Amino acid sequence: MKTMVKSKVLDAFNEAAQTIVNPQLKKWMDEGGKVVGYFCCYAPDEIITAAGMTPFRVRATGSKGTEMADAYLSSINCSFCRHAFNMGLIGEYDFLEGAVWLNNCDHIRRIYDNWKRKVNTPMAHMMSLPKLNGDKQVAWWREELEIFKKALEKQTGTTITDEKLHNAIKIHNETRRLLRELYALRKKANPPITGADTLAVVIASTAMPRAEFNKMLKELLEELKDAPGIKDYKYRLMLISSILDDPLYIKTIEEVGGLVVTDSQCFGTRSFWVDVNEKTKDPLDALAKYTIQEKPHCPRMFLGFPTRSKYVQNLIKEYKVDGIVALRMVFCDLWAGELFMLEQDLGKLNVPVLHMDREYLMAGTVGQVRTRAQAFLESLGGKK
Amino acid sequence: MTGRSLSDKCCQKLIQERDMLGMMVEAFTKTASEKNLHYVPTKAFVDHHNEILRRYISGEPHITSYFCCAPEIYTAMDLPWNTFLTPAFTGALMPAYHDEIDASGKMFRGMDLCTIIRLAAYIVEEDLVPPPSAVVAMIHPCDGINVVHQTMAKNEKWSKIPVFGADPPYWADKRSIDYYADEMKRMVEFLQKHTGISLNMNRLRETIKESNKQIKLWQEYNELRRAVPCPHGGAFGLEVFGEALTVHCGMPIGTNWLKDVVEDAEALVKQKKGPVPKEKIRLFWFDVLSLGLTMGLFPWLEQEWGAVVAMEMFGYSPYTQIDTSTEDAIFKGIARRALHEVPMIRQARGVADYFLEDIENIVKNWKIDCVIYPGYMGHKDGSGSAGLMREKCRELGVPFLYIGMDLFDDRYRTLDELKDIISKFFTSMGLG
Repeated sequence: MKTMVKSKVLDAFNEAAQTIVNPQLKKWMDEGGKVVGYFCCYAPDEIITAAGMTPFRVRATGSKGTEMADAYLSSINCSFCRHAFNMGLIGEYDFLEGAVWLNNCDHIRRIYDNWKRKVNTPMAHMMSLPKLNGDKQVAWWREELEIFKKALEKQTGTTITDEKLHNAIKIHNETRRLLRELYALRKKANPPITGADTLAVVIASTAMPRAEFNKMLKELLEELKDAPGIKDYKYRLMLISSILDDPLYIKTIEEVGGLVVTDSQCFGTRSFWVDVNEKTKDPLDALAKYTIQEKPHCPRMFLGFPTRSKYVQNLIKEYKVDGIVALRMVFCDLWAGELFMLEQDLGKLNVPVLHMDREYLMAGTVGQVRTRAQAFLESLGGKK
Repeated sequence: MTGRSLSDKCCQKLIQERDMLGMMVEAFTKTASEKNLHYVPTKAFVDHHNEILRRYISGEPHITSYFCCAPEIYTAMDLPWNTFLTPAFTGALMPAYHDEIDASGKMFRGMDLCTIIRLAAYIVEEDLVPPPSAVVAMIHPCDGINVVHQTMAKNEKWSKIPVFGADPPYWADKRSIDYYADEMKRMVEFLQKHTGISLNMNRLRETIKESNKQIKLWQEYNELRRAVPCPHGGAFGLEVFGEALTVHCGMPIGTNWLKDVVEDAEALVKQKKGPVPKEKIRLFWFDVLSLGLTMGLFPWLEQEWGAVVAMEMFGYSPYTQIDTSTEDAIFKGIARRALHEVPMIRQARGVADYFLEDIENIVKNWKIDCVIYPGYMGHKDGSGSAGLMREKCRELGVPFLYIGMDLFDDRYRTLDELKDIISKFFTSMGLG
């Protein structure tokens, strides 16, 4: 199963998904541009853009092992963290001017503690993200944004004005709008792009200067507008997951006939489904409200499950999904609970779910994933 | 009439636990040739279970909560609270414990979720705990406890039970304490609304004063544990914690018991007596304790290696006195205690620095020869700090052991395996 259009832009997005420093990012840095890393889609990447820097979501793409990180973390820490920290330790992230973390989960917040001591990144900043979503939490998060803004200003020696923030919000909203446009194409009976390629596009959005990405995505959307749709699939699938930044997972599932048409994951809809309000006078107010009350949440937000479940159910309807592939990173407590609850709701709606625990790197498990996906698709036989 | 009775399924586990603890109380009574310090805390749990059962049947309010959610407030409101964590701690006494662990793993399609958390969710799903009037959830220090309360809130039988969670900031500075103090006030409003019990501020002030006395006695006791030989074994700190922060928190009965403990320890120090008269190793066990450890591993450490657990996570008491002069001061003090001082929350909730600070303080002040971090499979954040802990110990010149075990499932790492690992560690480090 392939995207039915030959596209240099799509090739560039795939290259960005398979590397850390892609040509667009390299060009930016060669021209003196700075890059700030972040580890989670709750991070305020707009503020990084407003500081004149490129936000880069940290991945461990291409990691070969965790030997260095294992001296600090342990075998019960998730493999994303071990690989990502290892990449930091071996110098793969030496190009970062700074990095920002949130207390989003027990594993990632400990990368911060280790990274700030062991990796030579000029600025390591931690933010305290609330677990509730009331107005008081919006106010708290706004203060955290202000603190982060000041830290960036100190680091760069520049002033991040409201005007710069408003402009950054516009640029990031455009990314969101374009990505939603891309996803809208996947609602078609014969979508013009595979799930694997779509994931590559979303990953690229977090790995290069946003304005450049937006230009490229517009080009791709033009190319896809009249492209022939994919017909050789058996079922329409939705992916539900925490971090998944390896298109090979989806490619493996698609190779056996399950076309991934939508998702609820943080390298996916949860990062762009809603815009930041551009009309709010104070840009930090807008960003705080967006993060705490408006964007789709992950299970770290307390008692938000009914909304999250509804979000998934709406996507199932909107994208005419036949089945769900639910991936959980081994040792992830948050997603163990989330999938336990979600499977109850989806069971009531008679939506089939394939629950797979996974490690960050797919190496060595392609055969297993393929076999499980095949069996799942066969089990959907009676559903169509 | 509530239509409820002791024969309801949800009461059976609590009754079983109560009876097991009751047998222990009886044994203490019969063998009390000298003042038996275990009697009061154990009896307190029997009384507590009886009260929860009584309230369930009568329909009088009781809540589900935790030691780290300001139990001083519950005492001041005469509001008994039950915790989901008990089944894991008492599990070693229960016949069907392993079956329940396995069933909870099946429920979550995996055994890598913290065993305490899995069991807590399981007992709710299986209707093995009396539903309370309200739940004050703990949504820190770990992901597991956050998510398990979400699963409970979704449970059909429990879905109508009101749930409160105080939002925990990641820091412990003034801004964070002020924020959390507001959360504590919000918690009081929630409790008043859902239990119909009003909080009397004078009563709270008196409770805090009593609790301050308890904390002071606890600190005195810990001073005595610096003595060589250590006057009591490793498990005793957990009992002190239990009295001061759970069943008798802010109550004179707890204070009196703590006085007895201090008196007993003082006498032992004067006589240079302890569980290991000729101590060879003083160790710091930096995590939760379970009955499996305190009944199996710790006595072996003492007998086989002359090793005493001079300090452990729950026995450590880095508490400050709460200022009772104004309502505002009281809530800020409660917030600081709940957010930054109570064990496990203190270390696991925020940045890893607190693990390191505590290691440094305890190693230096309790004459520690080695630090053991068990690497409990549920404590992912702690395991993510293991390398930093090791470096801190290296800096302090004490050996550090990371094991990797399940404190609540002895099949993950059996007692024999633990003994073997620790023996090799002691031998290779030239200890003992």
